[in-house]
Parts: sequence; structure tokens; C-alpha cells
Amino acid sequence: MNQSINRTPRFRVLSDDQIERIYFAALDVLERAGAMVFQEDALELFRQSDAVVDTNNRVRVPASMVEQAIKFYPRKITLQGRDGVRSLHIQKDSASFGTGSDLPFCYDRKTGERRRTTLADIRDAARLCDVLPNIDFFMSHGIASDAPLPETYDRHQFLSMLEGCTKPMVVTSVDGEGLEDLWRMACVVQGGEDEFRLNPLFVAYIEPISPLKNDRTAVEKLLFAAEKGIPAMYTPCPSAGATAPSTIAGMLVQSLAETLLAVVLCHLKKPGMPLIMGGVTTVLDMRKSTYSYGAPELSLASAANTDISKWLNLLMFSTGGCTDAKIVDEQAAAEMTTSLFYASLSGASLIHDVGYIDSGTNASLEALVLNDEIIGMCRQFCKGINTEKEYLALDLIDEQGPGGEYFTTDHTYEHWREWFLPKLQDRSDWETWVANGSKSMTDRVNERTQHLLDTHETEPIPEDLHKAIKEIVDAADARHAG
Amino acid sequence: MTFDMKEIVNGVIKGKIDEVKALAEQALSEGISPEEISSQGLVVGMDAVGERWKNDEMFMPEVLRSAKAMSSGMDVIRDQLAEKDNQVGTMVIGTVEGDLHDIGKDLAAMMFEGAGYKVVNLGVDQPSEVFIEAVKEHRPQLLGISALLTTTMPRMGDIINELKEAGIREQVTVIIGGAPVTDDFSESIGADIYAPNARSGVERAREFFKKKSAESGSN
Repeated sequence: MNQSINRTPRFRVLSDDQIERIYFAALDVLERAGAMVFQEDALELFRQSDAVVDTNNRVRVPASMVEQAIKFYPRKITLQGRDGVRSLHIQKDSASFGTGSDLPFCYDRKTGERRRTTLADIRDAARLCDVLPNIDFFMSHGIASDAPLPETYDRHQFLSMLEGCTKPMVVTSVDGEGLEDLWRMACVVQGGEDEFRLNPLFVAYIEPISPLKNDRTAVEKLLFAAEKGIPAMYTPCPSAGATAPSTIAGMLVQSLAETLLAVVLCHLKKPGMPLIMGGVTTVLDMRKSTYSYGAPELSLASAANTDISKWLNLLMFSTGGCTDAKIVDEQAAAEMTTSLFYASLSGASLIHDVGYIDSGTNASLEALVLNDEIIGMCRQFCKGINTEKEYLALDLIDEQGPGGEYFTTDHTYEHWREWFLPKLQDRSDWETWVANGSKSMTDRVNERTQHLLDTHETEPIPEDLHKAIKEIVDAADARHAG
Repeated sequence: MTFDMKEIVNGVIKGKIDEVKALAEQALSEGISPEEISSQGLVVGMDAVGERWKNDEMFMPEVLRSAKAMSSGMDVIRDQLAEKDNQVGTMVIGTVEGDLHDIGKDLAAMMFEGAGYKVVNLGVDQPSEVFIEAVKEHRPQLLGISALLTTTMPRMGDIINELKEAGIREQVTVIIGGAPVTDDFSESIGADIYAPNARSGVERAREFFKKKSAESGSN
């Protein structure tokens, strides 16, 4: 019997024709405007190719180069955490969720104030993500303000991340040298360079500067990742109306052009590296001049980017679970839920920035705990509906007949656990709710956050490995001291 | 025929860049003083824009066009205004070395142009020496320093220290901005003003100078 089944709900915002128009326009951008590249090795690679490099470090790339390069990227990448489990399957229509990185501030739940993020905050966020079942990968959440040197803060940050969380990660680094150190630290964990290539621990997060600029550090990282086969993502962060056209289509064109430049560059360096497409595409609020993490346009443009990524056979690093609200309140819940649902439905591969508050400047642990519940709902929805015979339950309906009950049947006993079981949402009756202290969602989120922080201990890094990793961190500090 | 200053005011409010320039030229040719064009025309227009922005009746794309219109009018009269007791301020602005982010800085530059300043935009990724040299060369009232990254933020403090070493710290007011910057940080590196967003920069600068002139007046 031939049949076609949609296992998951389908949600698209762009037709194939629309995607083609955006893609062709992006190719046009690279032939006309091109992009600035501020890194000599990359410029030399472009000069040796059919690309045109002018004296202002501007690179223009013929469409044929993009069309060739884009065929060489893998359609799946599997990450393995330091727990030894190949748990993160980066592929289309299989959403995985994780935090964002490098927020300068963290929301201190004890004082209600925001303050600079410390390594201890990063370890706490890591511990929470280690235990929260719906967080699949960890990014640093905060940027450490208490590392000894700004040039090496990324190594200290990564060590804290590793100490707190055994899951796969997405990492940020200062520059190419920083990424090399993080990669060497990860190779210690995975058992060497070869093993890392087969079972990578992390994806390197790298971003250009919109519009169409690639700074030295970003390009260094890309080239190093290409050389060593380290999974990497190139994630433009354009703000419509400020650093990109105010129309979503125009922003998508520019953002794709920025990504495609990296597609070509990595191909020139070494074909076939595991490169992931990205794009935090949103609007600049025209009243408050902030880069909005809660705008519906963020969700719409991100879903469109995911449509484009699938059409191009690239993997997509998308965005959700974030908010412009200053605290975890009703606005936060509404915005986080909206972006998570649409990112899930779009079928993005990785969905990050879960737990960002205050327009991407402030980190909240409570937001992580709340989002864990919302992601659970998204996942439940995306399972779709099974319509096989057992699930149509025709015999059962006949057996129970008119006026029957389903509480006590074997069928219910076997299947009801497939439902979503909330941990935080309250579904009790009024009297029970009052008897349990009339707690709001905020109360329950705060309690669970504190409980998890008080009780969860992450499996420690084996002592010999920890020592070897720490040596890499210390060596970096020694190189940069003075 | 008498020139109607309301045309300049409305031109600024509506963000008519070329029109305001032409109107300023016309007003000059009809013998209206640069002071009057500024204080009765351009500034009145921009004040109205500021008020409307505050009340959510105008938004940034409109406000920034108004700022450009204001600036195009100022360009016409600037030289003649400047000859008389230095009524117009100059601002030097740039992003620190190692940081290629320019949108926040450019936004601030446009806002200060809208407030009547002549703005010298140094660009991004600029080493301290460039800031110091520009302060020496242009002798601005305001030095704007921008950084988006926590890793490049400390360079703002370096520039202030080098201003001190060069003996020119006192001749310029330093205003800083950028996503990771706070009032505390601004204070710790010895900046004069911190602008948390595009709107507040001009306002805080205005308050700062008002307070300063009141203080020097009472001495």
C-alpha cells in the first residue's frame, strides 16, 4: 500500500517561488554591493578565486561560485555532549532548543535588580540546563565579567559551561585563537581531534555585522572552523529599518547574502565543512530604538528563513523563547510562547535565545524554567496526530458503546501518558488552588528555579580531564598576561 | 514680501531635507539673520519633533529625517553663526578599536546633528590616537565614544585616560553609549554623560551643559 503521511504539522510562510526570488536577489547583492571582509587570509582566498576584491576590502562574488559552493554542506550534524550521548540531531524538521549567549547582565532574583554576569551565574544557568528536560543544548546565557582578562574570557566561560552542563553546546569565542583553545578543550573531552570530528561537542557561533560587513575575528573563526571541520553557524543579526531594509523580504535578501558569503568563503578554505545557516532577523523598535526580541516580525522572518534553509538544503539556527520584557511577566510569557511555537512549527534545526529578557541584554534563570514548560507544549503540538488503526480506536468505541466510560479501559491506561503533563501550569479547581496557597505561575516558576538550583548537581568532569582542560585555560592567560 | 519662518519650522517637522536647505538660503538672501533662522525656525521645528517623539506621535524614521533637514539648514548658516561667539557646538564621535559596530554611533550622530551640532564622524574600529588627534584638531564641545561589545568597552576608559595624559580632558565633555554600558560603568571610567538610547543622548547633554553653566554662573 502506498501512502503519504504527514507526521508533523506543516507550516510555511514562503512559497517555492518566493524563496527563489529571495535567493536570486541575494545572489544579485553579492554581485553588486558585495560585502566587506576585514581579514587578509580570506581576502587572499577570494583573490585566488573568481571573486573580485577591490582596494576597500570589498568582495563581490559571481552567482556561479555560490551555486557551486552551496551543494557541499552536510544536511545533518550530530553533536555529542560530555555525557557521551549523541543527543543533538541537527537536521530539518527536528527542532532542538537551547539558550542564547553572552548577555552582559543577569537578573538577580533575590534583589530584583540587574547586575553584571559572573562565571558563577554561567555555571548556575548551565546546571539548570543540565537538568531541564526540554533544553537540548547550552549556550553561555551570560558573558562573564569576572574573568581575569578580556582577551581570554571565552576559555573561562567555556570551562564554567562544561562544569555545569553535560549536554552539547553552542559556543562563542573572542577570535580565531579563542576558538582554537575552546576546540582543544573540547577535544580533551571527546578523546582527540579525530573523535571530535565524528562526535563534535559544540557548534561555533559566529556572526557578521549587518549590513554586509565581516570583521577580522569573525572571519578568523570561520576559517579555523573550516580547516578543522568544526561545526559552525554564520548568523546575521540585521535589524529591519536600521541595518537592513525595513521590508521583511529586503531584510531576508540581505541576511541571506551575508550568509552566502560565508558559504563561499568556507568552501574556498575547505569544501564540506559543517556550516549552519543562521539569522536573528527582527525589527528595530522605532519608538525605543531597541532591537526587538519579542516582535511578531522576528517569528515571521525567522520562519521564512527556515523555509529558505530547507529549500537550500542547509540547516537552520533559529530563534525563540526570548522577550523584550524586563522581567518574567505576562509580556514575557506571551512573546516567548509566540516565538517558540512558530520556530517549532517552521521546522528549524536549532532554536536558540531561550531565556533572553530585556531585548537581548539580560539573562533570567526563571525564564529558562518557564520556557522549559512552553517548549514541552510546542513539542506536544509538533508530534501531530497518529491515525493508525490502534489510534482510531474503532473497536474500543464499539465496545464501550453509547453511555460507556473510558477511564478504566486498557486503551486509556496505555495511551494517556502520551499527553503533555505540565509541571508548572495549574489545572486544579479553585478550592484546591486556594488550599495550596493561591500561587501564581510566577510563584511556581520561582520555586522550581530555586528547587532545581538547590538540588541539582551536575556529573563532575573527571579529574584528569579537568586538569588538562584547565591547563589550556591557564596557558591562554599566560600568553595574554602583561 | 516677508519670509515666513513657519515654512522652515514645518519643513523640519516634515523632514523635507532639500526644502529646508533652500528655505534657509532664501531667508539669508532676504536679510534674515542666521540667529533668527536658527532660533525661530530650525530649533522650533526640532523642539516640536522632540515633543511629538516623546508622545509617540512621531517615530524614528521620521525623527531622523527631521534631524537631517535641521542639519541641512544648519549647514547653510553654520559658518556665519560660528563667527559670532561660537554658538554652535561641534561633536566628534566614533566607535572604539576592535569594534566594527556603527549603527548606534551613527544614530547618535544623526540625533546630535538634529540638535544643531556639527558632527565629525570618525567611523568604527578607531584607535585612541585618532580620538585624541580629532579632539585636538576640531576642539569639539562633545566627544562621543561608542562600543557594543563588553570586550571592547574598556577602550572607552583608555581614551579618557589618554585625554588626561594629553592635557585636554578638561576641554571636552565625554558622552558614551552602547548596549553593555551603564551609569555605573560611565562613572567608573570618568565619562561625563551616559546615553542609554538615541533619544536620551541629546537630552542628557543639554541638561549637563545647563547645569554646568548654572554652576559656573554662580561662582
